[in-house]
Amino acid sequence: MKIVVCVKQVPEVTNVQVNPVTGTLIREGVQSILNPFCEYALDHAVRIKKAHNDVQIIAITMGPPQAKSVLLRSMELGADEGVLVTDRKFAGADTWATALTLAEAIRFAVPDFNLVFVGKQAIDGDTAQVGPEIAEILGLPQITYGIQAEINDSRRQIRVKQEVERGYEVIEATLPALVTFSKGEVVRRAPSFADVLRARQKPVRMVSANDLSIPEEKLGLQGSFTQVVKVFPPPAKKSSLLVDNVDAVEAARTIYQFLKERRFVS
Amino acid sequence: MHEVFTKTLPAVDIHQVKCVQGFEKIKAEYPVYLSDESKISAKPFEYLFFPKSEEELAAIVREMGRLKIKITIASARTGLAGGCVPMEGALVSLENLDKVEAIHYEPSSAEWRVVAQNSVSLKALEGMLRTKHFPHLEQSADERVRCEYLQFKNDPDGYFYPPDPTEMSAALGGSVVTNASGARTYRYGPTRAWVRGIRVMLANGEILDIPRGKYFASPAGQFVIWDSQGQAFSIPVPDYQQPKTKSAAGLFAAPQMDLIDLFIGSEGILGIVTRVEVALLKREEKVSVIQFLESDEQAIALTEALRSEKRLQLDFLEFYSGNALDLLRELQKHEPSTVGMPFIPQDAHAAIFFEMSFDSKSENLDYHILEETIARCGARLEDSWAGYESRELDRFKVFRHMIPETINGIIAERKKQVPGLHKLGTDMAVPDQYLPEIWRLYKEHCEALNLEWYAFGHIGNNHLHVNILPRDMQDLASGLELYQSFARRVVELGGSVSAEHGIGKLKGKFLRLMFPPEALQQMRAVKNALDPDGLLNPGDILPVEVAQ
Repeated sequence: MKIVVCVKQVPEVTNVQVNPVTGTLIREGVQSILNPFCEYALDHAVRIKKAHNDVQIIAITMGPPQAKSVLLRSMELGADEGVLVTDRKFAGADTWATALTLAEAIRFAVPDFNLVFVGKQAIDGDTAQVGPEIAEILGLPQITYGIQAEINDSRRQIRVKQEVERGYEVIEATLPALVTFSKGEVVRRAPSFADVLRARQKPVRMVSANDLSIPEEKLGLQGSFTQVVKVFPPPAKKSSLLVDNVDAVEAARTIYQFLKERRFVS
Repeated sequence: MHEVFTKTLPAVDIHQVKCVQGFEKIKAEYPVYLSDESKISAKPFEYLFFPKSEEELAAIVREMGRLKIKITIASARTGLAGGCVPMEGALVSLENLDKVEAIHYEPSSAEWRVVAQNSVSLKALEGMLRTKHFPHLEQSADERVRCEYLQFKNDPDGYFYPPDPTEMSAALGGSVVTNASGARTYRYGPTRAWVRGIRVMLANGEILDIPRGKYFASPAGQFVIWDSQGQAFSIPVPDYQQPKTKSAAGLFAAPQMDLIDLFIGSEGILGIVTRVEVALLKREEKVSVIQFLESDEQAIALTEALRSEKRLQLDFLEFYSGNALDLLRELQKHEPSTVGMPFIPQDAHAAIFFEMSFDSKSENLDYHILEETIARCGARLEDSWAGYESRELDRFKVFRHMIPETINGIIAERKKQVPGLHKLGTDMAVPDQYLPEIWRLYKEHCEALNLEWYAFGHIGNNHLHVNILPRDMQDLASGLELYQSFARRVVELGGSVSAEHGIGKLKGKFLRLMFPPEALQQMRAVKNALDPDGLLNPGDILPVEVAQ
């Protein structure tokens, strides 16, 4: 049984700062990491592998050559091999062109796949579109927002616990299928240092535009229906009031007025 | 050169300085200034000052000196020995002296250096270095400062400040006056090794600029300081021996020592450090590894093996005792995500946590020496956790801090039932060869007395924090006695009774175990020469009555 896990390299956004003068992101010192939701998807693949024999996990990523590092990371965490889909022609791809390229790369590199696992979204773009688009292109049943997954003994169906607004639903799909994953109750794995070292010995296949049967005009920027025109931080919210250098009575009066204007007190 | 001249600062009217007067008002409106991380409580004091400049600070020092009012200095109040908790007089918070003033390249030592005011926090400094974004330098009115900052930004390499006291909200200046250390002291030494210059305000309100390598004690063992009135103070350099291990106990002394070293680690009893210049190091990618082991004794053996394998360069070497892992396991049982890590393996009964250089992109990682060293101790690299992304390094650090945090939580709960209870945490270090012996002593005695105890900390420097958690007052009494006996043995072995927390107001009795009366008299002589009225940080290191 083969589980393809789509992974993406993203900037580690938790510590990203904005230059107050230029309003642009300060990129110095910002590392690239495996998108956390992709890590959860991989985690569920590893769980299935532990529960069943003969499961092979293939991590696939589309990106520049340095995106190989997320394949290494995925292999440290339990993937058996990696596929790096890289070509200058893929540059500037929006979600649709990315999904089209990844879907074709999966067909090319792992034609006998049984499952495709995807993070529900990437923490940089936050679109949550690529997973469902891949499912559409590959003609697969899809379950989104999964937080638990198990394969039945016949290995013909997957049962997924799905997050919905008011709780959970349990949904089954016939394989092959695609599942996108949320965080759920996953406690992130920590590979052993032996895993880290051995991951460097695992195979990584390269896939380029020439390997895929997609016309050039459907790739990258050319094949994109949308374009990012501008990136800017959200306007800073004025959420706090600092009352300083005044006596306690004046401070209380100011805070009371502040709360009253916002109808916290009458 | 052993003679140095002070400078005066322009006069500022003391009434311009922000001041809160009256203990009741301070207690009601500024309660956080009544204690620090030691959790000891202040005794009534009259003034709380917030100077915004060295000139304002000088005005406070001169005025308090005139009125013979003693001053306690505080920065971030993260100390564990109560050093900045006032017992009388005035508390001066340096928290507004929080600007980085310059970053420049020093060709003579081929290193980048940061010049900063006292209260720049270590966390803020790390953030600015990581992003190479220093807002104050960008907006500096001084063109040279802006130019040097630009050079730094354009340097393709990243840099960091090596000392890493566990508490990163500590102030840089505070870490210098306490000679703070942390896990990475194992490779990089304590803060002292990274200080290239300081500016100190003496008890007379005048300033001394002390670059490293300029002022050394005379062969006869003294420094001479000339003030602006032409008066000379002779400072006798103590001649006692320092312990043969890392230490934050008492004033530093060495033959023909550098004047800067007298102030580093002096816990603010000799002068107020207002500005520091520290060196940076090129940032490298690191991997953190937590190696699980079968027993505490295997951890001791692995520590010795890793330390003696000179081909391995580890940044730090930390320890989790078996019972400390059990404590974390218990937390995980109740809430798996609390610890932020996967389940601790059931067969792990101790662990060693270390960090080393790493190239995550390399496909030919050769760590066979490490693997062989671990295998020789009967352990397997498969039984480990490893991480190298910055969020992973942070996660591992949080895991390390979980033990003391959990212990503090437990003791806080017990205190609600028995208010007199408190944790007993050792901070002692011994020379390398005595690690197995001191570990046996700690373990056997704690177990013999049936105390609840946990051990963790800087095993690479033979500096373990043994934390005893008394369940009742009887346990507390036994624990206190045991602590004293540990300290006596540590001193016999040539170690330090306080390897990193300092003496402050809490550990004077242990200092007296470590140094004979003549040595303490020499410390007192230094204090009296620089601060004849005992104005600065009364009660720290030396008891008040001795200092006067």
